[in-house]
Amino acid sequence: MSESGLAYTFRLHAGGLYAIWFREVKRAVRDRGQLIGGVSRPLLWVLIMGIGLNPYFRGEVYGEVRFVVPYTYLQFIFPAVIALNIMYTSIQSAVSVIWDRQFGFLREVLVSPLPRATILLGKILGGATVALFHGCLVLVLARFADLSLSIGDIARGLLLMALLAFGLTSLGVVIAGRIRSFEGFGVFSNAVILPLYFTSSSVFPLDPSLTNAQTSVIYPEWLMIVVRFNPMTYAVDALRGAFIHFQQFDAWMGPAVLVGMAVVFFAMALRGFSKA
Amino acid sequence: MTAAIQIGGVSKRYGRTIALDAVSFDVAAQEVFALLGPNGAGKTTLLHILSTILRPDSGTVTIGGVDALTHPTRSRRDIGVVFQEPSLDDRLTVFENLNFHGLVHGVPGALRRRRIAELLDLVELTDWRDKLVRTLSSGMKRRVEIARALTHDSRILFLDEPTVGLDAQSRDRIWRYIARLRATRDLTVVVTTHYIEEVEACDRVCIIDHGKILALDSPATLKATYGQQLLRVVPHADAAAEIAMDYPDATIRPDGEMVLQSSGDVFAESFLARYGSRIRRLSVEEPSLESVFLSLTGREIRDQAATGRERTLAFGRQGGEHTR
Repeated sequence: MSESGLAYTFRLHAGGLYAIWFREVKRAVRDRGQLIGGVSRPLLWVLIMGIGLNPYFRGEVYGEVRFVVPYTYLQFIFPAVIALNIMYTSIQSAVSVIWDRQFGFLREVLVSPLPRATILLGKILGGATVALFHGCLVLVLARFADLSLSIGDIARGLLLMALLAFGLTSLGVVIAGRIRSFEGFGVFSNAVILPLYFTSSSVFPLDPSLTNAQTSVIYPEWLMIVVRFNPMTYAVDALRGAFIHFQQFDAWMGPAVLVGMAVVFFAMALRGFSKA
Repeated sequence: MTAAIQIGGVSKRYGRTIALDAVSFDVAAQEVFALLGPNGAGKTTLLHILSTILRPDSGTVTIGGVDALTHPTRSRRDIGVVFQEPSLDDRLTVFENLNFHGLVHGVPGALRRRRIAELLDLVELTDWRDKLVRTLSSGMKRRVEIARALTHDSRILFLDEPTVGLDAQSRDRIWRYIARLRATRDLTVVVTTHYIEEVEACDRVCIIDHGKILALDSPATLKATYGQQLLRVVPHADAAAEIAMDYPDATIRPDGEMVLQSSGDVFAESFLARYGSRIRRLSVEEPSLESVFLSLTGREIRDQAATGRERTLAFGRQGGEHTR
């Protein structure tokens, strides 16, 4: 090992990143339970919730036209279900951080010459890849939601999904850094995922045809505040922009929030991981 | 001979417990160096410091001429570590584990595959190459870990209790591999153990207890310097108390056996003259590392592992589970 310099450094970092990333992906592929969850969750939401509630969302329900929107309920929640699937998988993938610590594998990585930032980046990229894949599983159901997607839509959507997956996996690592047991993580992650999901204007719309004043008459103010401060609102909104061309907020906001989440959560994860 | 490892005044404390107290020694290149001590003596703490995953409170550590405290990533290229607790990913195959290790140590592809094949051959696991690690026995897992620690051609190998929890056959095997490795490559081995019989084959033995070095030398010299003849006596019930009074430094094992440190044949003769008719069994043990340990620490190495009370007390001294 007398060789040193650029070639070694490059091979070490590229190889190490690849090894850690590939290990995460391989473990996810071999874990049937996770895959089943990734398939059943969108089926449940899209086919049962979506199709079941679809008629009640149209403006002409009960013969009274409330508002007319250019999409169905199924189309409306479809991008949110993608976000939900990514959210679940991303945050769950951080379980592997706890797993590694518990079963000693973390030490094996820590005695390697790789810097901690590279180790963490590999892990998060691996988890994000798996989450992105689970997001794509939902995308397969696009036909059932009557979505016709152009290549451009899909490319834009995938980019946003990848950003979301990266940010949320980082968040998972931050959470995993504070929680020592598997059971604790399961409970805690559900306590984070579901509220974030439900308050991201994912299942009920903040209707675009209403003014701010009208909206606050329909919805209580505290809910409006929670929705507006939930970063997932903007992530879901950005995905809607890509997949159903409808956005409540300015087009730049979604991507900005997604990039912000990725940067902030990764920085937090790195801070925690460097101390571990 | 040049020193592969130099340790100067290394101290580490956990709360109020001193795990290591100003430990200093050198390990020569191509030496097999044993750290011997009971559980909780500080061996693992020392090994974690040497493998750069734990920082000492004070002192210096030099590995292969490089300061391991200021340049840990440089040192890590030279060292291979087998931790006490298994650290394989058991959802990956044997090959995948080794390949992962090679990749995170920057070993180029062709060389990596060749070395993995060689090392699997050495630890006799070539047939298990593509089996998931979780299907392996604990002895096999240990062998995979040894192969893994050498995948990046490390020149210094740290083994933390490599034989603990293994059956006698697997233990022999591990030591056979260590012997074969040092014969075939430029390798320095530092191994911790609390099995005394295992260190006989090592070049030098460092006896450590309560974070302090008690003795450091070759097994032969240690035996000559500190070794004592031992009388192992199983007395009749009525004589036990009397013997204990006569020989206050005798240790009594839970099974009723008493271990007396003999100063020579005269000692044995006078003991026999007094108690010869009142003992059930007596054996004379020639100087061994066991007796070296006994005379240095005043107890047998297995004692501490055996008594739950002492362990509970030691645990309490560390602050119990509230410190975690």
